[in-house]
Amino acid sequence: MPEYTLISAPPLAGYDKDFTGAALKAPGDLAIVAVALPLKGEAAAKKAIKAAYGKALPEPGKSVASKDGARLVRLGQDAAFVIFTHATPDAEAVVGGKLKDTVYVTDQTDVWTGLEISGPNARTALERICPLDLHPAAFAVDDAYRTVMEHLGVLIIRTGEDAYLLLSASSSANSFLHAVETSITNVS
Amino acid sequence: MSQVNRIEGGLIDRSKTLSFTFNGKAMQGHPGDTLASALLANGQTLVGRSFKYHRPRGIFTSGSEEPNALVQLRTGAHQEPNTRATVAELFDGLNATSQNHRGSLEFDMMAMTDFVSPFLSAGFYYKTFMWPKAFWEKFYEPVIRSSAGLGRLSMQEDPDIYDKGFLHCDLLVIGAGPAGLSAALAAGRSGARVILADEDFAPGGRLNAETLEVDGMAGADWATQAIDELSAMDNVRVMTRSTVYGAYDHGIYGVLERCTDHLASSNGKPRQILWRVYSKRAVLAAGATERPIAFGNNDRPGVMLAGAVRDYANRYGVTPGQQVAVFTNNDDGWRTAADLAAKGVQVSAIIDSRDAPAVCDVPGARHVRNAAVVDTVGRKGLKSVTLTDGQVIPVDCLAVSGGWNPNVHLTCHQRGRPTWDDDLSAFVPGGELPVGMAVAGAANGAMTLGAALQSGRDVANAQVKDLGFTASRKAAPKAEDEPRECAAFWHVKESKKRAWLDQQNDVTVKDVKLSHTEGYRSVELLKRYTTLGMATDQGKTANIPALAIMAECTGKTIPETGTTIFRPPYTPVPLGALGGRARGKDFRPYRLTPSHKWAEENGASFVTVGNWMRAEWYTRPGEKGWRDSVDREAKNTRESVGICDVTTLGKIDVKGKDAGEFLNKVYSNTFSTLAVGKVRYGLMLREDGICYDDGTTARMGENHYVMTTTTANAVLVFRRMEFARQCLWPDLDVHLISTTDGWAQFAVAGPNSRNLLRKVVDEEHDISNEAFPFMGCGEITVCGGMPARLFRISFSGELAFEIAVPARYGNSMMGVLNEAGKEFNVAPYGTEALGVMRIEKGHATANELNGQTTAHNIGLGKMVSQKKECIGNVLSQREELIRDDDIRLMGFHPVDRNEKLIAGSHFITKGEDAIMDNDQGWMTSVAFSPNLGHSVGLGFIKRGHERKGEIVRAVSPVHGKEIEVEIVSAHMIDPEGERLRA
Repeated sequence: MPEYTLISAPPLAGYDKDFTGAALKAPGDLAIVAVALPLKGEAAAKKAIKAAYGKALPEPGKSVASKDGARLVRLGQDAAFVIFTHATPDAEAVVGGKLKDTVYVTDQTDVWTGLEISGPNARTALERICPLDLHPAAFAVDDAYRTVMEHLGVLIIRTGEDAYLLLSASSSANSFLHAVETSITNVS
Repeated sequence: MSQVNRIEGGLIDRSKTLSFTFNGKAMQGHPGDTLASALLANGQTLVGRSFKYHRPRGIFTSGSEEPNALVQLRTGAHQEPNTRATVAELFDGLNATSQNHRGSLEFDMMAMTDFVSPFLSAGFYYKTFMWPKAFWEKFYEPVIRSSAGLGRLSMQEDPDIYDKGFLHCDLLVIGAGPAGLSAALAAGRSGARVILADEDFAPGGRLNAETLEVDGMAGADWATQAIDELSAMDNVRVMTRSTVYGAYDHGIYGVLERCTDHLASSNGKPRQILWRVYSKRAVLAAGATERPIAFGNNDRPGVMLAGAVRDYANRYGVTPGQQVAVFTNNDDGWRTAADLAAKGVQVSAIIDSRDAPAVCDVPGARHVRNAAVVDTVGRKGLKSVTLTDGQVIPVDCLAVSGGWNPNVHLTCHQRGRPTWDDDLSAFVPGGELPVGMAVAGAANGAMTLGAALQSGRDVANAQVKDLGFTASRKAAPKAEDEPRECAAFWHVKESKKRAWLDQQNDVTVKDVKLSHTEGYRSVELLKRYTTLGMATDQGKTANIPALAIMAECTGKTIPETGTTIFRPPYTPVPLGALGGRARGKDFRPYRLTPSHKWAEENGASFVTVGNWMRAEWYTRPGEKGWRDSVDREAKNTRESVGICDVTTLGKIDVKGKDAGEFLNKVYSNTFSTLAVGKVRYGLMLREDGICYDDGTTARMGENHYVMTTTTANAVLVFRRMEFARQCLWPDLDVHLISTTDGWAQFAVAGPNSRNLLRKVVDEEHDISNEAFPFMGCGEITVCGGMPARLFRISFSGELAFEIAVPARYGNSMMGVLNEAGKEFNVAPYGTEALGVMRIEKGHATANELNGQTTAHNIGLGKMVSQKKECIGNVLSQREELIRDDDIRLMGFHPVDRNEKLIAGSHFITKGEDAIMDNDQGWMTSVAFSPNLGHSVGLGFIKRGHERKGEIVRAVSPVHGKEIEVEIVSAHMIDPEGERLRA
């Protein structure tokens, strides 16, 4: 039994609040692993991803949910995220184990903080901070873009008809939460 | 005061009464009123004093072009000066006051300036107050500034909140008058995503102000119906109270939405929103602005633009006077007369500058042909007008129409120049329009109602077709083309009295002529010399008549004379809206280290480093100042062990088969040969060979390196490396990802650091000096299996490690390390102690890598490998950059150990004058060294490496001080590095 134990305390852990027309929640145990496709090894990597997750790696700017709930987000030609629910700090090993040596994996879990915004007012609230066009005709369900909100880099994924997952840097989590909360309260 | 000037009709809601005050007087109005219409309804003709001469002024227009009726709204911290009463929507409880007077509005003591006006012509302050020279700044300017000027700020913080936002559309329609509504309807029916924005609270534009019919119904009713249809479309967003104030690159427009200005309280919601609208196409349907005619004393309260008088009568049910005359050079002025007469207002005369028959029948009005007004009487309110033939007509309101100018402003925001239209005697959009913009309606010279409606529909259809939509086949709404003949007539030459062009800046015809006489021939110089067209109205009613006067002076045509450039904003945008949420603590986002909470609980004082909040020191009971804390922390670290959160340093995971080769190219030294499990210090150069950034990079695996960067350059280095990866060497298999925020990293430094870490690192990992020597690294576990990274690196110069755990465990880790270290008297240390120790050790940071220095200067010239290709190595070898007699980084001790060194001091050889010619270098960093017991410094000095032991002067002219210093090794503590290898 070790003498000391470390306690997990993600910056927005447990945040869950309802507003008029929108709900904002920090998803618990959100694991993120970056997957890099090796140069000239892209085909093998894609094959391994398909085999492991049952879904082909989507095109850049798109994401897809696998049967086991993991979301594959294609960020660029050779870059993707695997986002899934996983509590222990070994997410990199989990994804690495599935994809073997076909990709380079890097744990990104603690790099990011996540906020799920949903509800009929979600898009209206995001208009206040998100420079992207989130109209359904321009940003379909499962689309995933990188942008900047209130000076903070953000990966936004449309996870449902009126639901979005926002990922931003964990060190500025409080400022990010404040920015999103303010947007919601300003429109509700 | 009762509403003595309220007449029948209008679009106001008479079932409700709104109470408000003006200069403390209780008045009443109705929903749908502006402050201006309500003031007029209450018979308040005098509303302000002019800027320079403090002349009594009234309401001149009914829109955003208003030059005169500037008032202060609300009280206390909410007080807002310089608000145009003509666009201020009335609400119950509104408190308005006039501005720019000493004493009451009626008896302004500063009105004496009007009587000395011959001495106050354009540019008078350039010619007078020249002596004594010293008086200008201390006396003349303050006096002038306190005499002139408009409203006053509350000097309290603005209690309202503001927001910003982003909107996107296929077509932005600017203006909801007849052309704009017609355009929006056409585009909306095509299925395109449309935003219709209008500055007014009631869309309709001129339709609300006139009696003309559209599709067989009253224009205002048609406008309401059109808005209802548009509002029902999912693809259309109607934005009222929203001014499109600027046209920017790539179809981006700035829009100010006034959300709560019409309410007594914002109720915690944003008062205004500054929108950035991304449009694929735009239709500018901004309408037209009526222009005045200049004649003697044409600025008296009661002299108004004819279209405005018509607006007040038709839209607001208010007559600005009981006895009105119209002075016009065009047919449109006649419609004002006809509308007033139809409402039962007595129209005494229609004075037409043209020698032409009556345009229409106006019951009770005399038609005075080929005539003009030369003068007026009535200081605080118009009493009569005098015509060119000498006849005097008693009136309390004169409606003036000099024709209409298309509102071309937004077409010019990217330097498009309007072109002159002789038929309209006005500028119309010309030159190159902002990309994607087309102009419709009166803004494009389609001045009649029927033409505007048709134009809106046609232009919008062309725009949406261009985007691939199928244009609606529905015909444009039908309306008559009213008479609109106009004969240019700019000013009444027979007038002997001052004739105002720009009422807001008190610029007269005489001022423009004087400006020309004094040699200001360019229209841009005219503007700056006279202040014509400046301030809140930006000369919307003044510019064209002034250009006409100038053209007369120069003997040129108006188009040859040209116009000044229209720039954003179209109408004023409050600074609060431009600031948005970025106020106080929300000015910028904050980044917190993983141990921030622990630090807060343990006495930390924080310093902002970029966006990071870092602990600068931890105060303990009994410590009287920061030096007590910092000295203790630095001393304790060197004597036992200290802990510092160093998470802020950039971390980049570099992976791939070619990762080593890639690092060889971005670092000046070699990394491909670094063994797995080892760390190396790396130096990056700019392309020009100057030092860029430094840090350590650890090889964690065959294809995996972990790079650290300086805190300040973390993002810049990452971006530069991505550029190198994607653009310079795309054939390398290398992948980068930032892990800065992912790992909570702590420096554990001091002779007891290993002993402390042994208590938290899991037993299976041997961290002895033999198994884990200096510059070693590895992936380990701590506290019973927690994955961690351990690096044996030292910034302090002590035996030291940096240990990293997943960030979510960082706060806990800080607590564990301090708990485990109690037996060693562990103490956390902040950035100040970190700085002290790195200066003692001679480690360079931003002060030394300041964008001017080379590897050679900091004594690392040998690290720039010439055996490989890397960014900056070629230019780093330029002759001037590798001179042996160049500056070198050295340490400095004060000869008198009690002296406190000053950063920024320049080194001067003893016996030489302290002048730049004798400059030997400068002190980059200083600190009090608690370990040496005196002040120490780092600095660059010429040939420093050859001058150890020499005494030079450190001169700081800024502080008026010089100190004798001894040149020593930069490594002032443990120069042989025995401690860090222990």
